Amino acid sequence: MGVELMLNSVNINFLAFAKYWNWANLTGSVFVVFVITIAAAEAAVALAIVISIYRQWKSTNVDEVHYLRD
Amino acid sequence: MANTLFYIIAGIVLGSAFLAVTLRNLFHCALFLALTMFGVSGIFLYLNSEFLAAVQVLIYVGAVTILIIFGIMLTRDVMNDHTRVMNNQVLAGLLVAAAVMFVSYAAVSHSVFQTTDHPTAVAAAVEQAPAAAGRTSDVYALGPVLIRPENGFAFAFEFVSVLLLSALVGAIVVARKDPA
Repeated sequence: MGVELMLNSVNINFLAFAKYWNWANLTGSVFVVFVITIAAAEAAVALAIVISIYRQWKSTNVDEVHYLRD
Repeated sequence: MANTLFYIIAGIVLGSAFLAVTLRNLFHCALFLALTMFGVSGIFLYLNSEFLAAVQVLIYVGAVTILIIFGIMLTRDVMNDHTRVMNNQVLAGLLVAAAVMFVSYAAVSHSVFQTTDHPTAVAAAVEQAPAAAGRTSDVYALGPVLIRPENGFAFAFEFVSVLLLSALVGAIVVARKDPA
């Protein structure tokens, strides 16, 4: 969820600067389109990973999922 | 009046973003994340990006938040769930966040922004299409920019569709049960 918040703030930044430059180039808007798309794909994969971890460990608390750390 | 509405929307975004990371019940956090996405869509409307505001509501609220709620409901007992909000690294996190805010504010306030007047192909498309339609939104200008090869974004556009397909297949492969 924090990642989604960060990506949204980045989107606002891109659009604000694109408008500040009087839409001289639309690169800001195009980049926002790509960021939204890739964020959606990343959210899907991240939730697939969370569900897979839950099946294995029966818990989503990251403090209990620590086989790699030991 | 437009200014107060902007401050209200900005307050909604900031407040619900803060609540989305500090509430105990994870389902409530996801709901406030959806409210944050709606607020961000309102801010996009202030930036003359009606297409991106609609896309934001469709994709973020309609797909990403629903996915998050699926994940929460499939992996937790939502009614009795109380997660720990703070751990013993909160002070370090606050210091890092304050440092990032200070650095980015300093970087933005000391840079010189130039409004350029070069007529590129993209700027010409922006000027012609909305002026002909009498509107100032980006709906008419984004289409040619994404599709035409001379604007440089056509390959990335097609590649992102391939990336979506691969993310879809990958999520299915990761989350399916092993055929035992």
